[in-house]
Amino acid sequence: MLDIVLAVVFLPFAGAALTPLVHRVAGERTAYYAAGVAAVCFALVARLTVTGTHGLVGTEWVPSLGISLAFYVDGLSLLISLLASGVGVLTLTYSGGYMHGEPGQAKYYATLLAFMGSMLGVALAADLFALFTFWELTSLSSFILIGHYTGEKSSQYAARKSMLITVAGGLFMLAGFLVFAWAGDTTLIVGPGSLTANAGETVATLRSAGLFLPSLLLLAIGAATKSAQVPFHVWLPNAMEAPTPVSAFLHSATMVKAGVYLVGRFRPFFLDAVPEATSLPEWSLLFVTLGLLTMTVTAILAVAATDIKELLAYSTASHLGLIVAGFGAANAYGAETGAFHILNHASFKAALFLVAGIVAHEAGTRKISKLRGLRHDLPVTALVAGLASLSMAGIPPFNGFYSKELLFEATFVLAEDAGGLTWLFPVVAVFGSVFTFLYSLKFLSLFLGDPNGDLGDVHRPPLPMLVPPVILGALVAVISVDPQLAIDTLVGEVYASTVPGDAHSFSVGLPTHLTPPVWMSAITIGVGALLWPRYDRLHDGIRGLLHGPVRANWWYDGSVDGLTAGSKTLVSRVQTGLLRTYATWVFAATSVLVVGAYLATGVGFPAVELADGMTAAMVLVLLVALVGAAAVGGAPSHVAGVLTLSILGFMVAIFYILADAPDLALTQLVVETLVLVLFLLVLDRLPAYYGSPRFSVAVRDGALSVLVGATVFLTVVFATAGSPDAIGGNLSRLAGVPAEHPPLFTDYGGGYNVVNVVLVDFRAIDTLGEITVVAMAALSVLTLVRMRGRGEAQ
Amino acid sequence: MLQGHNQPGGGFIGGVLTTTAFVLVYVVFGMEFLQSELLEMGSGGEATDRTIGLYRLLFTGGLAVAFLSGLVPMLFGLPFLTQAVLFLEGVPLYHELEVASALAFDVGVYLTVVGGLLTVLGEAGSE
Repeated sequence: MLDIVLAVVFLPFAGAALTPLVHRVAGERTAYYAAGVAAVCFALVARLTVTGTHGLVGTEWVPSLGISLAFYVDGLSLLISLLASGVGVLTLTYSGGYMHGEPGQAKYYATLLAFMGSMLGVALAADLFALFTFWELTSLSSFILIGHYTGEKSSQYAARKSMLITVAGGLFMLAGFLVFAWAGDTTLIVGPGSLTANAGETVATLRSAGLFLPSLLLLAIGAATKSAQVPFHVWLPNAMEAPTPVSAFLHSATMVKAGVYLVGRFRPFFLDAVPEATSLPEWSLLFVTLGLLTMTVTAILAVAATDIKELLAYSTASHLGLIVAGFGAANAYGAETGAFHILNHASFKAALFLVAGIVAHEAGTRKISKLRGLRHDLPVTALVAGLASLSMAGIPPFNGFYSKELLFEATFVLAEDAGGLTWLFPVVAVFGSVFTFLYSLKFLSLFLGDPNGDLGDVHRPPLPMLVPPVILGALVAVISVDPQLAIDTLVGEVYASTVPGDAHSFSVGLPTHLTPPVWMSAITIGVGALLWPRYDRLHDGIRGLLHGPVRANWWYDGSVDGLTAGSKTLVSRVQTGLLRTYATWVFAATSVLVVGAYLATGVGFPAVELADGMTAAMVLVLLVALVGAAAVGGAPSHVAGVLTLSILGFMVAIFYILADAPDLALTQLVVETLVLVLFLLVLDRLPAYYGSPRFSVAVRDGALSVLVGATVFLTVVFATAGSPDAIGGNLSRLAGVPAEHPPLFTDYGGGYNVVNVVLVDFRAIDTLGEITVVAMAALSVLTLVRMRGRGEAQ
Repeated sequence: MLQGHNQPGGGFIGGVLTTTAFVLVYVVFGMEFLQSELLEMGSGGEATDRTIGLYRLLFTGGLAVAFLSGLVPMLFGLPFLTQAVLFLEGVPLYHELEVASALAFDVGVYLTVVGGLLTVLGEAGSE
């Protein structure tokens, strides 16, 4: 099984790598090559599904950190994989017609394939970090695809927005994952020995550490940003800047499902350890509220939409909210809702997006106000749109109805169990569904009525664009006619993956008697039908309310603009292009950090005592050095200053000689000589006098000098407080005294000169680093001096 | 550089000393003399470029020697930069000669220091 799973995940990446070559040969027919790759993946996933293979497989990845490339095959991962590869085949085929004559096709198909591989990885990964990696890869490929028209401002804005929100959310999720990995002492999510298998103990560890709620929230932020839940839904409508097949594939059927997948995947983990008496665990409170809020708010926004893709985008967020709310409810109906609606939503929403693509392509506009009566010109498309939008509206006997009915039942049962304010859940579910009903009818109405004469000729779409939506429409029809078939073959397994412990399959069908959920559906459809004639007034009314802080976009734009402006101000203060500014910042920051570290660790000031063997000559030499140091400040010119400074250096060298350190003395002498010559060479080019500085600048520089001096002084004092004897003792213990004839490579390169042996043997890597620095310094001087003239010339 | 393993000295000090010798020649006789008489590079701006090219070769070569000397022990399955000592017996006059593998690394250090410092000096000096 491992080889099949690896093939499923990595074949698309291999296909993506080859795409530029294929595009060179095949040109626009690359679409069918990419669809072929997707078809192979689909066939492999289908084989896994049919053979009923389940379980954990994996291979080593980062064994030192216990991270493995583990995959888990079960109902949930198979459903998402089937959607990713199946809808992949359809949208890639569709692209063959849609992308005719468009720029950047090689990039487009390569990214779509890479996205498909990442999505399959998300679905199948059983390791926290493998999942996170694939998760961010989907964000990355989505970024490239949304920004497909690289020259357009709106594309850039949309791509950046989706990237900022989904990647930031992913980082929150990663933080949550780290907590899980710590608490469970494993990075496996499902399978034997995983987090889910030991849910009881892991949750107990989390609770006792006070990390249960934080980790749940971190996970929820990851899922909410990816699945466009309120208030992170703002990126999804903008993402419609992408070519329509991308919208159909990523932003309705697959990538946005990653968030709900995550919720479904962690559902057993969080619901396994719920105490018996709790009717509303934290999990339910969080996700049912989040899901229903999203479902309602975005359904209302969909009614306010003026563009067909905008309408579908808000509707997608709304249906994702429905799935999240379903997975949130801690009863069997909740899991059934989520499992079944993932399939239903993918079938009707991908079909609708492809229909929207046909409409935009053939009618030349996406404005809702301009589109009507399209069934005359696009009969087949109209049929698909009719099926899919009735399903979206939740009208029986179409498939969307069954899963919506399950949600009503889930919220109703939840409210019955928990009572009190939770009765708001079924009420809000009905309220939101009314708007779902309304915008679904609106989409359908584009095809009804008389044609709009202003539109001109509306052509029939080419076959590659027509077949995929028809297949999806047929899927909607099949599930609608026999929902139990879909549940028995596929959804039942998904349900089993999202409940703790063992689970049996479930059944759905048209209601035969009046239960509360049936009443809820009836109210939805009834109120919807009553409001339908007033759709335009509702539309205008909602649009009238949408300005200022009511819109989530206002907050997004405000914070991004604020951050941008703040960064610009900061940059102009820090990056002035003046060397002295950089030096000020670097010195100040280093000193503050170092002194701060001393204060934080509470290093005590060591007792100062005169070392043994201090002679009068040494004291005299050091006094001369001090006089030299003091004289530097009063030197009348740069040259005099440097010469005076070198008095200090040479006195230190003499001190080394007196203290029996010939190596250090030798080095100090020659380096001092070299530095002196270099200083004189450079000073020759500097002006002799700069003029009097402003008082504030002089104070700042003076304070900085004192701070730097104090830092260096403290560092020397603290660093030399450790006894050198201990260090030397350690070294000789490690090396041993060189034997007379030690075997090759065993005596640590022995030698009598400790300084040199340390340099070339014990700390040879440090030395290698240091000579690299010498070489780099030489290179920088070379470049800076040589290119200085060129920079000024520009 | 050669005696550094057992007595004061070593690649770094040796390199700085060598550079100092060049610098003193430069201070006393000037850049022209250093280039044309000592290094036989000819005179003029082009010669300066050629001389600096030579310095550059020195430090890149030195870095390469130091790095490669660290790779050799890896051929024997030992960690990067492992050093060893080999005692050669029966060498005429010396009887026994101690050869430290660190010498190769030290040569690299020496060349890098000489090349790097001379590049800086040459550039600053030719301004």
